[in-house]
Amino acid sequence: MSRRLAIPAAILVVLVGAGIFAWTTRETSDEREIRARLDTLRTEVNTSTKDGIGTALHAVQIGSYFSEDAVVELGDGAAPIKGRDTVTGMVARLQPRTAAFQMKLDDVTIEMTPGSNMADVLLTASFARRNISTGEESLDAREYALVMTKADGTWRIARITAIDTLR
Amino acid sequence: MRVLVLAGLSFIIFKWVLIPIRAEGISMEPTYKSGSLNLVNRLAYRYRKPERGDIVAIKLAGPHVLYVKRIIGLPGEHLSIERGQVYINGAPLGESYVKNRRPWEVPELVLTSREYYVIGDNRGMRAADHDFGRVDVSRILGRVIF
Repeated sequence: MSRRLAIPAAILVVLVGAGIFAWTTRETSDEREIRARLDTLRTEVNTSTKDGIGTALHAVQIGSYFSEDAVVELGDGAAPIKGRDTVTGMVARLQPRTAAFQMKLDDVTIEMTPGSNMADVLLTASFARRNISTGEESLDAREYALVMTKADGTWRIARITAIDTLR
Repeated sequence: MRVLVLAGLSFIIFKWVLIPIRAEGISMEPTYKSGSLNLVNRLAYRYRKPERGDIVAIKLAGPHVLYVKRIIGLPGEHLSIERGQVYINGAPLGESYVKNRRPWEVPELVLTSREYYVIGDNRGMRAADHDFGRVDVSRILGRVIF
């Protein structure tokens, strides 16, 4: 093959490869919705509120990302947190402390049957916090498995299970 | 054309062979300070198994957030930590890289054929603030080379 033909051929191969990769890894609209939902949850968690009514409203707002019968299992011997109201109550109580946190969500993978109202989500959540007295920043990262369900057109978290990467 | 090839090669190398990472946290001090830049060799264990003393990157849900820890226990070994001293099959393990030691306690355990025991070098911190323990071999992404 002449040099004049080799370059366009190489570019064509790269473009076709990129096209195949994009096609095979494309997301469904439900997957995009779940990602967007988790992204707004992250923003919500990272928005700190310290006044009374604001704190309660903020907790209700975060609670709305959970289904009514949601279960949160944080492991380490902690009892599961059951129900949206319990989650909301805990968020409200913990807010003075969580205000010092910044949450990041990485490596979000979503598995679901197209058209299904249930999705399995795996992600890494990192919490960066600054020690008020020393000013030192620490980072805690953990893997979580989520079950999300869709009701009335909205995806909500039905279950969170912390995964012990190191046991 | 040369620029394209170089860009392509760099992409392949830094995506699949040598992954640049930034250490965050103090659990590997003094070996790695928080904020230091390091490289993970993903091919390190293609032809050999991880060894004691290797510093490895361990993946959580994916490759973007990793634990960086040192291997101290190998598959099949008995391991315990008594007053901060690590014992392997009943014999104390020499760890020159550990500068401060708190009296951590881990009751004796036996690693399965797929498990390694990993821990950070900073034993001067509280054990409760330090992530360490058994890890399945499938989670070891590669060896941290510097």
